[in-house]
Amino acid sequence: MSHVAAPRASFAPSLPATLIILLLFITGGLFSAATGGRSDVGLTDLWHPTGLARDVVFEIRLPRMGAAACLGINLGLAGLALQALTRNPLASPAILGINQGAAFGVTLSLILPGVLPFSIEVTATLGALMAGLLTFAISGGFSGKMEPTRLILGGIAVGALSFALVRFAFTLEDELARSVVRWTVGDISDIRWRETSKLACFAGVGFAATMLMATKFNIMALGQDSAKGLGLDPRLTLFLGAGLAAGLTGVSVAAAGPIAFAGLVVPHLARPLAGHDHRLLVPVTALLGAGLLMIADGLSKTLTAPIETPIGVVAALLGAPFFLWQTLRSKDLL
Amino acid sequence: MTLIRMLAATLAFSIPALPAYAGNITHELGTTKVPDSPQRIVVLEFSFIDALASVGVAPVGVADDNKRDRVIPAYTDKIGNDWVSVGTRKAPSLELIASLAPDLIIADKKRHAAAFDQLSEIAPTIVLDSLAGDYHASVEQMAIIGDAIGKSDEMNARVEAHKKTMAVYSAQITPLTKGVSAQFGVTNAKGLWLHAPVSYNGSLLEMFGFDSNMMPKDGGVYEKIYVPTTLEQLSEVNPDILIFGAYTDPSFVDGLAEDSLFKNLTAVQSGRVFNVTAHNWSRLRGMLAAELTAKDILDIMGQSE
Repeated sequence: MSHVAAPRASFAPSLPATLIILLLFITGGLFSAATGGRSDVGLTDLWHPTGLARDVVFEIRLPRMGAAACLGINLGLAGLALQALTRNPLASPAILGINQGAAFGVTLSLILPGVLPFSIEVTATLGALMAGLLTFAISGGFSGKMEPTRLILGGIAVGALSFALVRFAFTLEDELARSVVRWTVGDISDIRWRETSKLACFAGVGFAATMLMATKFNIMALGQDSAKGLGLDPRLTLFLGAGLAAGLTGVSVAAAGPIAFAGLVVPHLARPLAGHDHRLLVPVTALLGAGLLMIADGLSKTLTAPIETPIGVVAALLGAPFFLWQTLRSKDLL
Repeated sequence: MTLIRMLAATLAFSIPALPAYAGNITHELGTTKVPDSPQRIVVLEFSFIDALASVGVAPVGVADDNKRDRVIPAYTDKIGNDWVSVGTRKAPSLELIASLAPDLIIADKKRHAAAFDQLSEIAPTIVLDSLAGDYHASVEQMAIIGDAIGKSDEMNARVEAHKKTMAVYSAQITPLTKGVSAQFGVTNAKGLWLHAPVSYNGSLLEMFGFDSNMMPKDGGVYEKIYVPTTLEQLSEVNPDILIFGAYTDPSFVDGLAEDSLFKNLTAVQSGRVFNVTAHNWSRLRGMLAAELTAKDILDIMGQSE
């Protein structure tokens, strides 16, 4: 395992892996930008858009494509960080209850506007952070001994509790309930540049922060005891990493609602392509996450056309079978 | 269900003289024997209130979505305020309905067909296609309801009067609608749903001579009567007149105002976007409801000249 952080680790994936990653990224981008409600605006309009086609491409499709890409980056990196910190392949924003915590944060700010003096992003991130810390505390992560089973069970319990609180809001006044329902499934159909630029900022900062922590993730992958031996305070890394994952998840949920499975699946797809060095795994996860979510966006517009399927549903439809396959194939998942 | 059956049986035996079962009413789910002149009627859709109100009969129970003000004053003027709410139209409470000991239940085909047997155990039940039916069907249903409540003549007279009223509106509106396309849609905080030409409102607009740009693609038909619609899709429909009913303020459509795709819609460019009361247009059906809608359309055409 010591070769993991060795300096001779290559900084480029193999040629076939690079091609696969680029192909997915480009296909995703084109698929997302070429599809939508107007059948007369297609691929050819992307190069010389004029008049109406330009409005469609620049005002509706590109911000949406960008949002999908940023969500893929944010959630993929959040999942990667969590999997590295907990050394648990099941760790992801949705399984550790962080997604649901963020949704609860959003719901709180909808139910009690004015009581919480923060923007929706901040309450979502706070909710995500609280849920993540609670799950880590249940698993014993802060006492230096994180138990994998307790981590997953704790995450499921925290997630179920957070979502029960979100569902409780359904019983409130009709219109309020309807706006809360919006936060139970990921949907980016009405996203414009304003939200996309915000998401892009956070994706950029999140990417940089994850890159900076890549070496620490490599050391954490050796186990908390080895990390201590190498002079790394695992609790501090755990806290910083959890904060990073919560921030990335919170911003994503605030913009689009919870998208499950993306955070779980993307790092798993990235590892066969990039190996186990996080210095390479971070950029590959980001590119792959962006590509896959853009493909999911394209599918969300075409699967049941002319009626759209929310991207959260598409992500679950794609992610759940992969997750199941991974579970059945893997001998020592826990 | 045994409880309801027992309750129904107990009620049946406790009434000394059973009402005379005079009429067989043919409806969407078969033929039902109804009492001569039912006194305790429960209605599970708003168009049935419209029917009862038009001949001055008050229901004992109404599926009013637990919101009494969804029964508009134009109806309460005729049916009073004494009905018992039996829950939502989507899932009315069978227990509450049974507790009212009705002698006639009027239910909707789309929403309540699955509960027809349970409802029939409580009281004779007739099922009509209110929610998914168009305007013409809603008027035809009036005669069936008239027969079922033993007021055929009064109902027929009211239907005739209604047709005359609508003809007067039509005479004023149709000269203005030649070659003009109009589209109605409802919007809440989350989205926009256009009402297809086969819908209740779509058929009313068609009757007044409007064209619809909601053309099914590839020779298909719209499977849905209420079609969730994105801004891109709306820009493709691009009607001359847009009529929105908003359930929330601000609505999803309000959020589109800054998009140039929205600003470039024909109706927006020519200032022919109109807001109407979503409840009256979208949830209500029937004669009084149609007359309210017709008045709105006349106003709209007056403004858009």
